[in-house]
Amino acid sequence: MVAIQLDGVSKQYGSITALRNVDLTVESGEIFGFLGPNGAGKSTTIDILLDFVRPTNGSATVLGHDAQTESVAVRSKTGVLPDGYHVYDRLSGREHVQFAIDSKESTEDPLDLLDRVGIADAADRNAGGYSKGMTQRLVLAMALAGEPELLILDEPSTGLDPNGAREMRKIIREEADRGATVFFSSHILEQVEAICDRVGILNNGELVAEDTISGLRASLETDSRLDVTLENADNGAVSAAEDVAGVTSAIQDGSMLSIALTRESKYEVLAALDREGYSIVDFTTDESSLDDLFAAVTGEPRSEDHTEEDAAAAPTEVEQ
Amino acid sequence: MTWVAVAKKDFSDAVQSRSLWALSAFFILLSLGLTYGYSEFEFLSAGTETTIGGLVFFLGGIVGLFVSITSIVICYRAIAGERELGSAKLLLSLPHSRLDVLVGKVVGRTAVLAVPLIIALGLGLSIGIIVIGAGSILSAVIFLGWTFFFALVYVSIIVGLSALVSSTTKAAALGIGFFFIVEFLWDGVAFVLLFVANGFSLPTAAPDWYFVVTQVPPSNAYFSGLVALLPDVAAAVNASTGAAGFDAFYAVPEIGIVILCLWLIVPISIGYTVFSQADL
Repeated sequence: MVAIQLDGVSKQYGSITALRNVDLTVESGEIFGFLGPNGAGKSTTIDILLDFVRPTNGSATVLGHDAQTESVAVRSKTGVLPDGYHVYDRLSGREHVQFAIDSKESTEDPLDLLDRVGIADAADRNAGGYSKGMTQRLVLAMALAGEPELLILDEPSTGLDPNGAREMRKIIREEADRGATVFFSSHILEQVEAICDRVGILNNGELVAEDTISGLRASLETDSRLDVTLENADNGAVSAAEDVAGVTSAIQDGSMLSIALTRESKYEVLAALDREGYSIVDFTTDESSLDDLFAAVTGEPRSEDHTEEDAAAAPTEVEQ
Repeated sequence: MTWVAVAKKDFSDAVQSRSLWALSAFFILLSLGLTYGYSEFEFLSAGTETTIGGLVFFLGGIVGLFVSITSIVICYRAIAGERELGSAKLLLSLPHSRLDVLVGKVVGRTAVLAVPLIIALGLGLSIGIIVIGAGSILSAVIFLGWTFFFALVYVSIIVGLSALVSSTTKAAALGIGFFFIVEFLWDGVAFVLLFVANGFSLPTAAPDWYFVVTQVPPSNAYFSGLVALLPDVAAAVNASTGAAGFDAFYAVPEIGIVILCLWLIVPISIGYTVFSQADL
């Protein structure tokens, strides 16, 4: 069963191409992370799924319905947290959620949904006085109304503090466990990495990658690094490590061994060193982050917070 | 059809606005003031005996202006405002068709305008009935019903205009432009039409179609419709539509009812056509 299917979707705003020939499939029941820098076309894609805008070319199908001609059917089974929305300042949180429940022709208690997103105590206050994080929680509660088959969340953690973002991830997981498909966009990579089954990466209106995170890692050959501190490091330890399948290089630096390897061979290396009689004092492991993948795929240095430590983690530098 | 949910949301939003309560207070004061003035001052009843029917036509002549202005104020942001702010995305994330949104808006905003309006006029007429005591109560009831319909028509026109654009500035310009051209300056427009149609000169007698042109402004159509619905009362109080000088079959007060029905349907249909194809 396919939840979302885009076939050759393009969107042209005057002379500006927002999306170029995008093909994308999201399977029913999966958590799909839709990544890309700001302005890549993520919101335009979501707008097309919800019939807020119409594609110049191509077609979009959501839950078996044509996104354009059967949009009401799509939206009756979908919960949405849109981007760039505004709430009704004079209506209370409870009235907002009640409106969503009425619109979905459902029968839940608005207070239960507000409680789930953690703002039940503000239910009767006007939404105009909510903080940004509370507003985001309110609209999430509206999206959850009517137990939707699909959740479309555009930058869901916008305005949330780390705690709020964690609760958001918890709710996303709960919804997925219930059987819902979750499609969410983000430019914050750690959050996508933490919960997604698969990701799609959009750059300049084109889908440049669609895979699982480990699949992306494998296809980009970005390795992990293992640093092991030994009581008695020597050349024998280096060759013992290099003999393990999956290890690309091992360098000794005093009592520390820096080993570049695939993710799966870490345990093997530790076991081999132990077998050869080396006593392990400490070890640290460093995986190339999604940031690095992202930079590799979109061809732009992503992280504003790329520290020296991160740079040292890049596989090429391990060889020094 | 989920327009009921949209209408309910729209109405409860507006009810919590202070301006609605100010509007209600204004309508009530206006209605009571007019009733008082009509029953106290001979010259306002135009030399005829003061009756409920007379009060109805006196109020009817003034209500048109206030309904047109207040519906522009209440409704110009109905669609354009939601698009400009971004609440349209919240609204259309839910399973409403764009037709549901328009119908819900028209119903919700009609309630916002008509509830205070009908309460205020009802209050004024009730006091009038007590004070004057002469004339049929039925004419007061018909007047209230027709005025309610007029409010619905005006809301539908302005919501239709609001659906054409995505900014409140443009929507305000459309609403004000509509009022100036179709209501305020219409006599001049009709005159220019007559002048042009007659080969850039003035005819000695106005052709029959000219009467229809004069009935185009919704508030004129409203007044003619009132004459058509209450012909005996209209005759008794000398309320006329200017149809007397024309003899075509359509030069009758009933044309006001037809024109008001067209105003109910046409602008909102154009608004829907544009809005249903628009990118949010």
